[in-house]
Amino acid sequence: MANQNVLIIGGGVAGIEAAKGIADLGYKAILVEKRDRLGGNPDEQQYSVLTPDRRDASEALSDMMAPILDNENVDLMYNTIVTGASGSVGNFKVKAVSMGKEVEIEAGAVIVATGFSHFDPGRETQKYGYYEHDDVLTLTDAEKLLKEHKFVRPSNGEVPKRICFIQCVGSRDRQIGNEYCSKVCCGISSQQAIEVREQVPDCKVYIFYIDMRMYGYWENEIYWPAQEEFKVNYIKGIATEIVKKGDRLLVKGEDTTLRRPMEVEMDMVILAVGMEPSEGTKKMAEYFGLKQNKYNFIETIGGPLDTVSTTVPGVYAAGACTGPADLEDTVSAAGLAAMKALGSIRRNGNA
Amino acid sequence: MPVDKSQIIEKESVTVEGIELTADWNRMFEQRVVFDYDTDALDKVTDLANAESMGWCYQCGQCIPVCPVDAVGEYGPLKIFRKLQQGQDLFNHDDLWKCTTCMNCLRVCPKEVDMIKIMPAIREEAVLEANVPQELQEVFENTFEYGNPMGESQRKRADWIKDAGVDVPIMKEIKRKVDFLWFVECYPAYHGRGQEASRALARVMNLLNLDYGILGTEEKCSCDSQRLAGETGLFEEFAEHNIGLFNKYKVKKVMVTDPHALNAFRKEYPKLGGKFETIHYTTMLAPLMEQLNFTKKLNYKVTFHDPCYLGRHNGEFDAPRNCLTAIPGIELIEMGRCREQSYCCGGGGGGMWLDGFMADHVTERLSENRVREAVETGADVLAVCCPYEVSRFEDAIKSTGNEGKLIVRDIIELIEEAL
Repeated sequence: MANQNVLIIGGGVAGIEAAKGIADLGYKAILVEKRDRLGGNPDEQQYSVLTPDRRDASEALSDMMAPILDNENVDLMYNTIVTGASGSVGNFKVKAVSMGKEVEIEAGAVIVATGFSHFDPGRETQKYGYYEHDDVLTLTDAEKLLKEHKFVRPSNGEVPKRICFIQCVGSRDRQIGNEYCSKVCCGISSQQAIEVREQVPDCKVYIFYIDMRMYGYWENEIYWPAQEEFKVNYIKGIATEIVKKGDRLLVKGEDTTLRRPMEVEMDMVILAVGMEPSEGTKKMAEYFGLKQNKYNFIETIGGPLDTVSTTVPGVYAAGACTGPADLEDTVSAAGLAAMKALGSIRRNGNA
Repeated sequence: MPVDKSQIIEKESVTVEGIELTADWNRMFEQRVVFDYDTDALDKVTDLANAESMGWCYQCGQCIPVCPVDAVGEYGPLKIFRKLQQGQDLFNHDDLWKCTTCMNCLRVCPKEVDMIKIMPAIREEAVLEANVPQELQEVFENTFEYGNPMGESQRKRADWIKDAGVDVPIMKEIKRKVDFLWFVECYPAYHGRGQEASRALARVMNLLNLDYGILGTEEKCSCDSQRLAGETGLFEEFAEHNIGLFNKYKVKKVMVTDPHALNAFRKEYPKLGGKFETIHYTTMLAPLMEQLNFTKKLNYKVTFHDPCYLGRHNGEFDAPRNCLTAIPGIELIEMGRCREQSYCCGGGGGGMWLDGFMADHVTERLSENRVREAVETGADVLAVCCPYEVSRFEDAIKSTGNEGKLIVRDIIELIEEAL
């Protein structure tokens, strides 16, 4: 008899949604999370609002996780790190360290939902001086400031008069190795730009970009309002370097529509860092023997028509552990993974 | 240090702070590096009512290939936007006066950056600051004083009817309601070539037994082009005057010779209380063409220039063509840029009165560019139906050395010629 339980690794948005799906269908979900709370990157990195609906991130996540917090069909295991795996569909045995103790979890199917990590702009080239200048931030740093409604210059605590975003940091870059587009950063930057204009109305905001990638409704829901209502200035042409000038930052680049160099002073520079596979994602691929793509994300094998099946039967991957994903992609994939995981168990049990 | 020759600006003479400099002093280098994007210049525009959409440009560039001014110079909404983003003060810049409000950019703009609203809004501010090219300022003053841009006497506004050869009813005199009012407008009332077309129209309408009247010396300029050039106050004053007359004569339907008047009556007069139907004379005549007894075959190859304010602005593309093709013997040859894509004669939005100013900014006049296109079709006649165009294109035929190859005729003149 196959084990009827589904193990979900990772308590972020994908893991929460998958657990909800499994529980709703009347099966048992075992959700393991390395931290002592759910919520994944949006919680850990203290996102201010969700994209694109701009709902308060903490509130939205609380609502989302409420159905699984006190649910007899969901076993929540916090402070739990998976350390190894064996077995096959219908009968996985997964080793973990939970609350400091070694445990073994049995499950019929597994959903990997270990997500992404934000690109470290100091990795590889360090061309923007992230670790050199206090006022050079990443999108995640800016999220925290916006969440606290304290959008000030880290160097001196002053309210900035002009800031800029630099797009595609750590994405679309052969030298760094991340050739892919991280998909969400154009939208996140534009949305943060709106928040800055709301919180600090006198602050001028510029976005330096290669091409704005605002697919679907993000175009009209984020990009257009940012430009039209909030008067965010979009300058085509990416900045190449940042140098200190007095107590400001001199951003140097090429304005590609004017075909002229630009050297503009900014109080803060926000680097639109992209997505990379998290450590957990890489480890799960290793433990379960899942094929990874050249960027170390977990490879799904169904092309565009199956976004969650991996090279190992019974193991599914959902969300940003398979590649850059927005929240909409993530919850959609999580629901699909829950369904396919239970499908594999039922097929196996009937065989 | 090596010099990039493309960066050198060399002028015959320049005037710097009132001092005229010549020769070596005039070699300059354009500042290359962008040191700031001063958003104040753009904000000043987008804060203005009706000019908000200037800030919506996402630089797709679709406006530039269709901008008639860019075809003969450097212009277009994208370029204006980029200059604003660099801090250029459009309120005090020649770029403010180069737009002819032809609407070709708005036709293709995915973001609906609306120069038809933006230009008058900014220009109105410039007019209030008396910051207007001199030749345009004179036209404003003429219009204010005499009721027409040429500065002709108001008393002579109906003089053209004396030589019409038929009775042209004047509302003040006939003292009865008519089927429709013919709003003659300034160029058809005063300009020599305009008067010829007006008389032809009067005679054709006489043949068709149409029941109409004109306002005669009571009529004042519709002022639509003055409005688009920034003279909102003048426009409103004159609109109230004309609406008062329409009300006095219980006018329900107006026929215009001038597409600019058509535009004002349809889109602006209703905001000021003027509620009546307006049609262009070609729209009036097109369905009546079969009632005319043509006696002559005109063996002309004719190409037709769509007026911006009849076609793109008000959607009438077929009536002029239907009038033309109903004339025996005429072969209509379209120019490449026709109908919605029609090129602009340069006369709209105040351009009619800025030829001297524009000469400093373009490699050739828009009308010259258009005439060359018309000649290339092999047509004998360039047919028009906007009173701005006859004189503009006749001048352009001369200045481009195409005399003898092409003549300009108002559609009504061709109709009458075949009768």
